[in-house]
Amino acid sequence: MRRPVQTLLLALTGTGLLHVALFTDIYLRYVKAGLRPLLIVSGAVLLLLGLAAAATRGGGRHPSPDGPGHMHGSDSDHADGQARPHEHGHGLGHGHSHGYDHAHGHDHTGTPRVAWLLFVPALSLLWYAPPALGAYTAARANDKPVAVQKGFAPLPATSPVPLTLTDFTKRVQQDRSRAVKGRSVRLTGFVTPGGEDGAWYLTRIIFSCCAADSQTVKVRMYSTQTPPADTWLAVTGTWHPRGTLGTRTARAALDVRDTRPIARPVNAFTDDLPLTPS
Amino acid sequence: MKKTDELVGVADGVAAVPLGPSVHRIRPWPLGAALALTGAATALLLLTGTQWLSHPAVQAWRTVSLAITVQALPFLLLGTALSGAINAFVPADLFTRVLPKRPALAVPVAGAAGAILPGCECASVPVASSLIRRGVTPAAAFAFLLSAPAINPVVLTATAVAFPGSPAMVAARLLASLATAAVMGWLWLWLGREEWLRPLLRHRHTGHRHGHSRWTEFRLGFQHDFLHAGGFLVLGAMAAATFNVTVPGSVLDTFSGSPWLSVLFLAGLAVLLAVCSEADAFVAASLTGFSPTARLAFLVVGPMVDLKLIALQAGTFGRAFAWRFSTATTVVAVAASVLIGGALL
Repeated sequence: MRRPVQTLLLALTGTGLLHVALFTDIYLRYVKAGLRPLLIVSGAVLLLLGLAAAATRGGGRHPSPDGPGHMHGSDSDHADGQARPHEHGHGLGHGHSHGYDHAHGHDHTGTPRVAWLLFVPALSLLWYAPPALGAYTAARANDKPVAVQKGFAPLPATSPVPLTLTDFTKRVQQDRSRAVKGRSVRLTGFVTPGGEDGAWYLTRIIFSCCAADSQTVKVRMYSTQTPPADTWLAVTGTWHPRGTLGTRTARAALDVRDTRPIARPVNAFTDDLPLTPS
Repeated sequence: MKKTDELVGVADGVAAVPLGPSVHRIRPWPLGAALALTGAATALLLLTGTQWLSHPAVQAWRTVSLAITVQALPFLLLGTALSGAINAFVPADLFTRVLPKRPALAVPVAGAAGAILPGCECASVPVASSLIRRGVTPAAAFAFLLSAPAINPVVLTATAVAFPGSPAMVAARLLASLATAAVMGWLWLWLGREEWLRPLLRHRHTGHRHGHSRWTEFRLGFQHDFLHAGGFLVLGAMAAATFNVTVPGSVLDTFSGSPWLSVLFLAGLAVLLAVCSEADAFVAASLTGFSPTARLAFLVVGPMVDLKLIALQAGTFGRAFAWRFSTATTVVAVAASVLIGGALL
């Protein structure tokens, strides 16, 4: 990879990171929110590195045999052949094909050539950011195991009660006091069609760090029609009686009374109540 | 067992692409990989038009591979910046002065010293080769080569982040990696032969050289290491995303049932996926169906043996060395994971 290309690649990668993490919220599709400062610092460092490489290029472009221009070749495997091309180049058996144009970089150094692949994420981040994970992934994922919770506080008196999908599942399967019985609850998530008998699921995908480790929480929905996949909804309804409430036999399912489309929450990939963009 | 074959076939297909056309060259497949992947992608793009790109599986693949790359970039940058700084600012003879004179003692010391040279496994290969050229006994350099990518603070921090609430995983990774590195060093003292190593003709950018600005050396080393490791990171992310998207969770579950098979399976997966050691803890964390010991094997084998490392080692030390060393390391690493995982996890 030639040096100007390396410079461009560094600057593009840095700009891409700054674009998704500093100027927009796109990074939330890929990683957890906590990585934002690291991404911004990385973007800035890469951009500076690119600018530094661009600024110093003019000085080192025409090296003399013993001058500081050698450093330009020092990133290749042939640094020795470059440092004294006239004395050792032939003796080492690999320097003979390189003339005085070392400083322009070889395209066969083997080392940074694989770096061409870095253009893929850099350009994706800047111009062609892939969408957030959705129904396709959720439909194929196993359900995230729900942790065992010992005690349950009484549900707030508001109606409907906003609950996360995990909290609703816990209330249904573990809360011996059956606080959720007969209560109207509001759940938020996106639609994942279920396949058999027009069933669908309200779904959240949860990142522990990034999209590669995503886990899925689903609650079965009972309603007359299935909304289109990947729609974000706030669903109000009551527990769909199946199994014994408060035990493992109870199914996390909801009789839907009302659905309202919502914008994708800012914290879409956490297991929290939604923060809607203001 | 049928599902086993399918699964390995999937991962194999990804990994085997770069080995095809240029396998007879010394450093064949970084280029082969890049060319084959971009070529295949362009060909598919041209054949099927842009509709292909909006298929949900492709979207999910792009999202996952980009996510792995993005979350690993800060760690990679930190690792390469530190190793660039150490290369440029730490005196060249420091390592030989600090290490004990007796090789058998130098091996564990060098292994533990891996903790102070953070970096991706790709960065540790040139460092180890320069250590050998500066007179460090090869056994110690190899212990360092194996331990550095696995036990440095950056990787251990990433492991702790990826496995919240289970510090035993961090401790087990540290111990199993150190044990593997030390055993491999001693094994080299016992059985290793110098002629497996290619004559080290080449000088790399390790260490400060007279007459050169340390800052420029630092910047160039940093830039080179980052671009190099970053390219391999993207390759690993693509392979991991392919696996992530194409293999449904149920297949993993059939493996996770058998404790022995699952350890071997994840060890093999670590070799094929070639995820950078700064990022592999997050991949291991996503393999929720597997036993902690199997995931430990993934974490111990991954930074020591994988396809991109074998290629790097073949280029740096010679092919005769690379395949012997990688095979032995895999066996030792799996054994260490099973023993230490069984005791701690």
